[in-house]
This record gives sequence, C-alpha cells and structure tokens, in this order.
Amino acid sequence: MDILNARLSRRRFLQATGAAAGATAVVGGVGYSTLAPSENAHAQEKTAGGGTKITKSVCAQCPARCGIDVYTTDGRVHAIYGNPEHPIANGKLCPKGHLGAYFLYDPDRFRGPMKRTNPKKGRNEDPKFVPITWDEALNTIAARLQALRDKGESHRFALFYGRGWGASCAGLQGTFGKLYGSPNVAIGHASMCAEGSKRAKRATDGNDSYNAYDYRNVNYILNFGAGFLEAFRPYNYLMQMWGHMRTKSPKTRITTVDVRVSTTTAASDRALLIKPATDAALALAIAHVILTEGLWDKEFVGDFKDGLNLFKSGQDVPPESFQERWTYGLVPWWNVVVKTATPKWAAEITGIPESEIVITAREFGTTRPAIAIMERGPTAHTNGTYAGMCIHALNALSGSLFAVGGLFYQMGVPYGSLPVNADDYMDEYAKNGPWKKFPRIDMAGTEEWPMAGTMMQECAKNHLAGKPYKLDTAMFYYTNPIFTSPDAKAWEEALKDVFVIDTSPFPGETAMYADIVVPDHTYLERLQDAPTYPFEGWPLTQLRTPAVKPIYDTKVYGDILIEIGKRMKGPMGEYYKALGNTENVLRHLAKGFEANPGDNGVKDFESWKEKGVWYKKPYLWRQYRGEFYEWDGKGYNKKMTPEEVKAKLLKTPTGKFEFKSGFLEKHAEYIQKRLGVPPDRVGFPQYIPAMHTGGGDLHLVTPKTAMHAEGRGGNLPHAIALAQPSMGGRRTVFLEIHPETAKKRGIKNNGKVRIKSNLGVIEAIARYSPGARPDTLVLPQEHGHWAQGRWAKGRLPGNTSDICENVSDPISGLACYYTGKVTVEPA
Amino acid sequence: MAKWGMVIDLDKCTGCQACTVACGMENNRLPGENWQDVLFYHEGEFPSGTLKWFPRPCMHCENPSCAEVCPTRATYKTEDGFVLIDWNKCIGCKYCMIACPYGVRFYTDEKAQIQPDIKQVFKSDGKRSWNPPWRAPDNRDDWQHGVGIQPIGVVSKCTFCYHRVSKAPKGTADLDPKNPALREFTPACVLTCAPSARYFGDLSNPHSEVSKLIASKRGVRLRDHTGNKPQVYYLTGGAAGTIPTDRRGKKA
Amino acid sequence: MSNNAISLNPQTSVINALSLVGIAGTVLSLALVFMNMIDERHASFNTTSDGIVWGLPVATYVFFVLTSTGLTFVASFGMVFGIKEFLPLAKRCIWLAFATLVAGFTALAFELGHPFRMLWALPTSFQIVSPMNWMGVLYLAYVVFLLLKFQKIHAGDWDSSASKKLGIASFIAVTLAHATLGSVFGMMAMRPFWFDGLMPVYFLLTALLSGIAFAVLMTYIAYGGRREAMPEPLQNLLKGTTPTLYASMPVVFSTVLGVTLVALAARTVTGVWSHQDGFQAFDWMVSSPWFAIEAIGMVVAFFLMVSPRTRSEVGVQLLSSALVLLGLFIGRYEFVIGGQVVPVFKGNWVLDFIEYTPSLTEWMLLVLPLSLCLAIYAVGEKKLQLGAMPER
Repeated sequence: MDILNARLSRRRFLQATGAAAGATAVVGGVGYSTLAPSENAHAQEKTAGGGTKITKSVCAQCPARCGIDVYTTDGRVHAIYGNPEHPIANGKLCPKGHLGAYFLYDPDRFRGPMKRTNPKKGRNEDPKFVPITWDEALNTIAARLQALRDKGESHRFALFYGRGWGASCAGLQGTFGKLYGSPNVAIGHASMCAEGSKRAKRATDGNDSYNAYDYRNVNYILNFGAGFLEAFRPYNYLMQMWGHMRTKSPKTRITTVDVRVSTTTAASDRALLIKPATDAALALAIAHVILTEGLWDKEFVGDFKDGLNLFKSGQDVPPESFQERWTYGLVPWWNVVVKTATPKWAAEITGIPESEIVITAREFGTTRPAIAIMERGPTAHTNGTYAGMCIHALNALSGSLFAVGGLFYQMGVPYGSLPVNADDYMDEYAKNGPWKKFPRIDMAGTEEWPMAGTMMQECAKNHLAGKPYKLDTAMFYYTNPIFTSPDAKAWEEALKDVFVIDTSPFPGETAMYADIVVPDHTYLERLQDAPTYPFEGWPLTQLRTPAVKPIYDTKVYGDILIEIGKRMKGPMGEYYKALGNTENVLRHLAKGFEANPGDNGVKDFESWKEKGVWYKKPYLWRQYRGEFYEWDGKGYNKKMTPEEVKAKLLKTPTGKFEFKSGFLEKHAEYIQKRLGVPPDRVGFPQYIPAMHTGGGDLHLVTPKTAMHAEGRGGNLPHAIALAQPSMGGRRTVFLEIHPETAKKRGIKNNGKVRIKSNLGVIEAIARYSPGARPDTLVLPQEHGHWAQGRWAKGRLPGNTSDICENVSDPISGLACYYTGKVTVEPA
Repeated sequence: MAKWGMVIDLDKCTGCQACTVACGMENNRLPGENWQDVLFYHEGEFPSGTLKWFPRPCMHCENPSCAEVCPTRATYKTEDGFVLIDWNKCIGCKYCMIACPYGVRFYTDEKAQIQPDIKQVFKSDGKRSWNPPWRAPDNRDDWQHGVGIQPIGVVSKCTFCYHRVSKAPKGTADLDPKNPALREFTPACVLTCAPSARYFGDLSNPHSEVSKLIASKRGVRLRDHTGNKPQVYYLTGGAAGTIPTDRRGKKA
Repeated sequence: MSNNAISLNPQTSVINALSLVGIAGTVLSLALVFMNMIDERHASFNTTSDGIVWGLPVATYVFFVLTSTGLTFVASFGMVFGIKEFLPLAKRCIWLAFATLVAGFTALAFELGHPFRMLWALPTSFQIVSPMNWMGVLYLAYVVFLLLKFQKIHAGDWDSSASKKLGIASFIAVTLAHATLGSVFGMMAMRPFWFDGLMPVYFLLTALLSGIAFAVLMTYIAYGGRREAMPEPLQNLLKGTTPTLYASMPVVFSTVLGVTLVALAARTVTGVWSHQDGFQAFDWMVSSPWFAIEAIGMVVAFFLMVSPRTRSEVGVQLLSSALVLLGLFIGRYEFVIGGQVVPVFKGNWVLDFIEYTPSLTEWMLLVLPLSLCLAIYAVGEKKLQLGAMPER
C-alpha cells in the first residue's frame, strides 16, 4: 500500500508546480463503456468521465522514441500500445514498449529527494539516505555550485548525461554550462554508445551522424553487425519494415555479417559469421569484387573515360583514366588499398570462405537499391572508424546515398526560440572566467582525442590521476557509467571523493554513490519533448505527456536544472527565472510549428500534446541517377549545383564522397602515432588489425538483447523472464559458448563459469550454442547489477563492464566494448 | 457465428516476443507465465548452425482435447471458436494441461520464475491471486471466460483476447489492426506485432484475409496428427511443396 | 458380532505400534503439509506448467487407488468368484481397500486446486467424455459399495443375496473405476508414453499384483510375521497347502507377478525399440537407477515366488511382497512422470528431459497417505475383527 501513501505526497507536489494531467482522448465507448465503480482507494483517481483515457506519449525504453498510447483507467496505467498515428510506431511496439507500467510502479523507485548520511562509499555501503524537501535539495546543490564558482573552480563541476531526450531536458544543459562556466557541462555518453559509425560517415561523406534509411524501397541489405531484429534503432520500426521487406515484390534480400548467432542472422537470407574486428577486410573484398567486375554505380561514382574497366586484381590504375562524379579518391584508394584486397586475402583474415565473399559481393553489386548498414559491432574496436568507412564506402559504390531505397541524414525540427536569450545573461565570469583555461575532464577535442566529441569513459581515470584536474561535483542524468563504462570499477574509486548528484528515479549504482538524490519522474509521468533520431529523414519531434499525475514526490529533470539555475546568483539566476519551467520551454518550442504546421495538423503546443507528435514530410533531397534534386514543393524538381550538394548533403572538404578522407588527413600525425598508419595512407578506408585487450584467448562480445531497456530494465521481472529466450534464458542470461570450446575447458552445458580478463573475473552460467564461433564467447551486456532494485541486484551473470578494459578507437573515441579477449573456466 | 482463428506468417516473424509481452500486460500475466510464448531452438553447428523459433499461442482447437478431459466442463469451447476456462468451475486438477498437445496452459500456484516473487510484492486482494497496480480495469474481470487475474488454484490460458474480440461488430471478417475502428477489438498480440506477422479473422468466412492466406500461402497447423485441429495456422514459406499433415480429408 | 465367525486376533503389540506409527506419521506429515501449503499452496510443489504438471502426489494417488482395486479383487476371489480358499483374507482386504482408497484420495485432495469445489462441480457439470469425471463417479460408487459390503460381512452376512450383490457391485465398480483411471492416461494421444487403448488392462494386472502384495504384507505384519499365529485356513492359503494348488497365494502371486513382468517387459522393450517421438521417455525411464531397482526387485521376487523350494517361506513371501510393492511404486512414479518428461516442444528453454525432483511437501504427501492408511488399518484390526471369515 506504499503506492497509496505516496499519492499524498504527489498531490503536495502537484499543488506546488501546477502540473496538469496529460492531453487525453476517451476511447469511443468500445469495450470499456460500462465501468463499474471501483471498490478501492484508487477510486479517488477517477477521471471526470469515468472512462478509460488514452494519453499520447513517447516510449523511453530505448532511443527509438516510439509514440505510445497509454491506457489509464481510475488513475492507473494498465496498458501501453503503439500510437497508430505515429510514423515510427504505426500502432506497433517492440517487446519492451509494453512494460512501461513496471517502471511507473517499480516498488524500489525513489519517492522523493534524499541526502546521504553515510559518508563512506562503496558497493556494500548503505548510503543511509534520509528524505529531504525539494527546497533543501535544490538549495544544497545550488550553494555547492555557487561556492565553486565563487572560488573560480566551476570547471570542477561536471554534468554527465546519457539518454537525453530533447530541448526540454538535455537541451538545457549546454546553456547551463555556458552561464555557469564549466567545460564539463555536459559530457555525453556517445563515446560509450556508437560514435564509430558517426565518425566513419563524417570522414567519408561529411555528416557526423547516424543515417536515415529508406527500407521501404531497398532491395538488398548488407548488414554489418547491426542487431536489426534485436537492438538496432528504431527497433520497432525496423521490425515493421522487416515484415514489409520480406513480403514485398521483389523480396528484399538480406545478408548479415556478425560474430554471433542471433535472431537477425537467423532470419537473414545469409549469415556470415565473421572473425571479430575483421569486418573492414570483408567490406574491402566486396569492394574489390564490385570494382573488378564493373558492378559499381557509374552514374554516382563515375567511370573510366574510355569505358574499359581497368580494375584488375593487384594492378595499378592510372588516376587520369577515371572520371569521378560524386566521389573523390576512388583510384588512389584502389591503388593503395583495394587492389590487393582480394576475396582470398579477406577469407584468410575474416574466416569467411572466398566463395561466400564473391557471391555476396555480386548480389550486392547487381541489386539496386542496395545498402550497407552497420553499427557498433564492427566499430567498437581500435580499428572501428576505418571499418565503418570501408562499409560505408560500399554505399557510395552502390550509388545509394540519398537515393530511393538508399540512405540519408536526419533533418532538424523547426522549433521556436526560447523566451530568453542566454547570451543576454552572461556575466563576466561566464564570458572570461578562469574556467575558460581548462580542458574538459575527458580531454575530448584536445591533442589526446582530437576527433572525439566526448570521452565519458576517460573521466574516472582522469579524475583519479588528477589530470587535467580533480572533479568536485558530478551530476548524472540518464547515465550510469559506474556500472556501464569500460573498467567500471575505476568509477567506483573515482566517485568516492566526488560530491555526486543523481537524478534517476531508480536506485541504480550511481545512486548508491550519490550524496544527494533528486529523482526525475518516470517517463509516463513526464512532460518532455523528444525529436527523433535518424529515421526516414524528414523532421519529426514528439511530446511525452503525463499519462498519470506523478505518483511520488519527483520532479522532471528539466525543472530540476531550471530550479538549480534559479538559485544561482547574478544574471544566471535571472535567466532561469525568466525561463520559468520546462512547460514554458516547450510552449515556446511549439511556436515554431505555427509557421510549419505538421502533416497531422499539429500547429501549436495544445495540438502537439493531443497528437503526441509533429512531423513534416517529405525529405527535401534526392539523388537520382547521379544527379541531386531538391524538393520544390511539388516534387524533386530542382537540380542542385555541386556547391549546394556540398553545403547540404556531402559536407566533406571536396563536397564529394571521399574514398580519401580530408578529415582524417588533417589528423595524419595523430593517426600515425596512435594507429601506426603511414601518413600517405591515413585517408583511405582500410583494414588494420585491431588491438585486442583483455589478455585471453577467446573473443568476448557483449550484445544487447531485445529485452534490454538500456540497463534500466534490470529491475523488471517481466523483462528478466524473457531476457534471452534464444538461449533458453528465463531466469538468467547465459554465456553462449560453442560446445567444443566448452568441452575442451571442462565446461558443462548449464555449468557455472568464470570469465577472466586482465581486469578481473565475472561469473556466468554457460549454455552450449552449437552455431557460435568456436573462438568467440557471447555474453549480453549490462547484467549483474549490484544495485537498481530487488530484482536486478545480485543476479547472474556478472557485469561485462567489470572485465572490459578502457581502450578506445583513437579516431572516434568509441569505447572498444567488443575487442576484449578473455579466458573461461568452470567455476 | 464467426469462427475466430489466427494466422502466423513465420516468414515475417522476427522472434521479438512483443506478442508475449503485449499479452502479458494486457492479460496481467506473471513474469514468465507466457500465455503466448516464443520457443527457440538451435539447429546445425558452426559455420552452418542457426537459430529457429516459433510463436505459440493457444490453438483454440476445433476439437479441444483440454475441454474433453475437463471433468467439470470448466474448460469449454464457445460457438464462435474460443476455448475458455471458467474459473468458477475449475477444480485445479490440471488434466487439461496434461491433455493439451501444445503446452499452453498454466496453473496459478507455482514457484515464481523470477525471485523475489512478485506476487508477494503486489499481494492478493483475497480474490485475485496477485494484484499489481497495472492490472486491467476492475470491470473487465470476467472469470466465467477466464479473463482477468485468476484466483488461486485454477488453470489459465490464452483467451484469444476474448474481452476484446467478443465485442467486435457482428459479421467482422478480419480484425485488422490497421483499421482504427477495429483496433480495440483486436487481440493484443496481433495488435502489436511489428512485422505484421499475425492475422486474426473469421475462418468460416471464405472472404476473410485469414481464409485467403491459409489458401494462398498454404497454412499448416501444428501437430495436426493429434486431431485437435487448431484454429491457429502457420505460414511457413511460399513453396509449393508442402507436407500433408493429416491422413483423412474433410468430408465434402 | 456374529458367533459363527472364526476369529483369531492378530498380535496386539504390532497393531499398537502400527497405529502409533500411523497416527504420528499422519500428524507430522499433515503439519508439514499445512505449514508449507498454507501460504505457498502448490508453489511448495516442484511441479511446473511447462514441465511436470502431475508430480509425485499423483503417482502416490495412482499407487494407492490401484492397490485398493487390487485388494478388492483379492477379496472378490472368495466373495464373488467363490474361491473359498481366499475367504480368510476377504474382510481384511476390504478394509485395506478402504484404507488405501482413503490414502489415495487424500493425496489427490492436496494435489487439487479446489478439492471442495470438485464435490459439487463434478456432479453438476458431468462431462460425459472426460475419463476423469467417470473415474470420480465410479470411485464414489465403489467406496459406497465397499463400505456397505464391509458392513454386511462385519455383521456376519457373507452369503445373503444382498451381500453377494454388493460384492459383485463393488467388484464391477472398481473394475470400471480403475479402467477409467487407466483411460485417464491411456486416452492421451498427445502423450505417446501413455497412449494405449489397453492401458486399463495393464492397470488391471498391476492393480491386482499390488493388491496381492499389499494383502500378503499387511497380513504378515498383522500377525507379527508369525504364520503359526494365523488361523489355519489363512496359513494354508499363504503356505500353498490348500486342497487345490491354483487357489493358493504363492501360485496366484507368482502367476500374476509373472504376467505383469511380461507386460512390463513388452511395454518397455517396445518403448525403447521404437523411434516414435515421445517414446524417448522410455530411454529416460530405463536409464534411471530406480528402474534397475524396480526391475531387479520384481524379477528376484518372481523367482523366489515361483520356486517350490522357497515360495512358501515366510521370509521369502515378506521380502517378495515388499520388493513388489517397492517396484510397483517406482513403476507408478515412472509412469506418471514418464508421460510428461519429454518436453511438449523442443527448445532452448529445456536442456533435455524435463527435470523434476519432488519437494518436501510432495514427499509428505506420500508419508501422509501411507500413515493414514496404516492408522486406518490399525483401527480396523483392533476394532473390526479383520481376520473374520464365514464358517464353513
């Protein structure tokens, strides 16, 4: 009955903030028209009509941001389905999406702000939290930040964030850092996510972004390590597209290259189980076949001047013989890298038979549209950016960039501007304070990581070493590096002498180290915007609207940030007072829709709340048979000049797709130092052997499973029960091991094992997986919580982050989660 | 009278288990008590080893052996094709679970698959065997048709979302989740299935999509040799060669 | 009490001890069962919906009710078929049949989700195609006839037409009841390990064997293992010194045991030989050490009972009946679990066969019926002159 008690405090909170219940639509009498009076205390919650409400909101269990219909009756959320009018969800959901109520009603949730009373920190230290008021919590934080600023040490405050949603939460952080004066506000988690594919695209086509894809029209997918049917984004939409692709005419053929057996490899037409970290070699060999057999898209790439194909295995091609169109450096790339990258060469490196490579290459090369997709699999290695470039180069060769059935980039949302301009509130300290001299604590963008945008995984190490300095205070939003970062244990040491502020509503590992907890709402209680990740290209943003009033004394993160800001002295405090609250922010953002009404009629804040989503088709650009066109309001009729293409689409130094990357060549010296690539080669997509960590004899890959709600799903018994059914996991997640590999080591099917790396040991239950690569172990990541709630805690297997060394791809900065080698033995 | 049935296109099924979870939440199932399960198995060895799976709802058989063995008629077949359990009559003998060839029946009082037991966290209100805050609206409880959170000591199973489907307008040929007017009547698993691998409609209507799919894509039934004659059909590819699944043809 | 009945009292000290064991066992096991089940109910069982649905308590039920059937058959030899040599055992067997029936249904009652609901739901619903329904009806009829018959003979009425009709009625009722129990399993086409139209016949045979073994064992126990303390007709029956050899216990015992072994062997060999999907349960069965104990015990018992040199020995008969009962109990367990041990569908969710080990509560639901059976028997032996037989 804790929930009932908590409702009282929630009311108190509501009075304080005036938050309103969400926009709702009453189900048209069907099915729920005869509501009997509720016999319990929940009756207080009954809505005016006494019916079931549907609130349009947004799922938060992965970055895909599916629109959801939240069904609420008598104040209780009892069902969640996909929003049928939402372009990503289309009325569908992935398995996680339905479980939202488990988050909302998690019995282990924090019920209000708290402070720590046990000064000792550690895995087994009870923080001994005591409840405090919001005022005390916010005043304590503001006073601490103010004191740092007054001492000129504001750079020692860092704000770490992971799953930021939009302008009303993570979007407020940059301004906060600027006004406050810290280079560490905010440090994102992208370097522990999937920076590799973004940097690979930056290096080749100039867009530092994930791609949008036209799955509706594609006829061939060559998938390098994307968990298309498990974790690739947006998962729900991808499965919808899978159903479409597999039944359309012609049926889309799919070849999946991965290091493990998965539902994706199993459902594909062909699965190539590749040796980990060698994807680049395979992609190069495919390029080799495409070029030698003349299968490249001549309208996009160009052709030999006399039409005679001079790409012959092992033979140089005179650069002047080839006339390139939208690419740059093809012949130099061939001469330096591709001419020797034969299928035979790749077969030795990748373990994939030559014949399979040739067949795959011919299929890819002769089918249009054909795309090569990838994600963290091939890129979370020290050679990851180069691997990503090799794969993306295939998209240039197949001419699928910006083409129908090809891939593009995501357009932004025409949000309105905020009521106040932060630049008007910069005091002298903000403009020229001592903090300006300091690099970020993670050293991203410095000589150490010149091409990395963020390097969260470096922070614990740097803090412990006092290089560049020590942190004083760290605030965490939707991130939990003490559990998820490579070498997570370093964070357990580092955060001992840092004042930690956690904003998660759940008792995660960060919270166990927190000095103060200011809990956010769970997502079904939030008012929050969420522009889409790259999807189909055209702009889309959605609004998360509370389905129920917050059931505990929590506060939406945007408001926490604004409230801290209000308590700062000087113009910064004035700025936040003028900004008001997140709802005000959202109302101003929505003003942008007045000039750009959405296709679904959303034109202001109210209609946005009602529909839950604003979007506007079409995507404005298209490449067709080697020409680029822009949408003129009626069709793709306006032919684009090379300058326009460079400004809008191919944002490389040359305005072309670069097989010889200008971006990388600028950092030739650094790349040579870190990766040993000679300066005259650094620009080319190429295969270099990965530097494997861990010191063992078996590769360890740590994928996400379909039920894995980004680590936060650890306390959902329903998700645990379905975590890994592909291996039979109903209570636990298993280590997948080839039977021969296991037997050689005396490991029994279903036997307990120890997995060791240089960093330490974790335990797991092993299950024989006859389809697995004998040299590769598979253990899904982010299990083995030591906090996060009663169901999550202390459950096998161990946390893979504990044995994953903190090594990153020097180019992208992406943590090399999949590059570790381990030993395994019976426990 | 409709004869409700389901078609599952295994060519489209991605094994994601959204059906399992949607059903679990719609029908307030315990963690691991999967009325609608997806079963996976390995075949072959590296480098040609692979994974296979199939989703498994209750088949709502034409000849339901579970109903035939039930000594108290607690399990019964309705005129429009549902196989349901009356929780007021079930004595918990579990004979139906023995007699079901498909393993899709669940006894209430078992060790929790996931510890700590969620039943102890959201404790029984004296009627329901447990009482989570996200349970369906109280007025939906319908023990005669096995809808709601079951009381102790009884057997439960997939109802084909009886509480939704039974309210569909008479004469509906197909419960197409894309049709906004029919969404609220469509079974949860069909509604959410992202690749649209599931179809639900009237098998007795030759114009229904399910009837057409069974005909044109050669729908087969699971374990047809038991004679239970499921009203759930699987499509297993478009090839012309198929295996006859029973020995005796239908009487004309 | 009739005067014209011959009655020798069994050994009181043994009976007292039996009743003590029975009552203590009942109290103890009942306490443990309640303790475990009051809060957890059937979660205190190790049965699961995706594995073994019917566990040890069902095997216990089958064991006891089939023993009850067999005891009624033994009683019927004399009372229905006029084989007078068996009359000395008749009254004891009828009472034992009642005791074992109570024991069996006790196990079942704790296994059911709603045992009390059954009392009204079964007759009001009356599913005519459910073998379990018929089993309930017929066992109810059986217990009524059995008690009436017992009441008649207890009153000394062995031969009246009413008494005979009751004897015939209970014989028919139990024959049909056990047959429907056989069909409960035998009709399950989806469970090949059980699926067999002749299952009722197989049950008939094994029921008879367990009735014989139980009768022999309990009779010896009643007399403290001393055959010389028994009435002479009973001694003759057990010793095999009856005028017609076929109407003696050693011959009947060894014959039924022999035929049962043939049936068991035929079933097992066919099961192991066949590749029928689901028959893997036979591999599971024969690979268990319990199967070896069962098979060796029963074969040894057969040879001991068939050999003219040994079959009349008290010790041999005691040992054989104990071995047979143990073997049959293992057999019931193998049978009930074996039908479920092959997963309904293969999959990574299960490694091989379904794993099942009975929980403490489930074991207690063996101790409880057994204790209850002993206690009821002891009461009968003390109060109801179970050794009574009609005067010639």
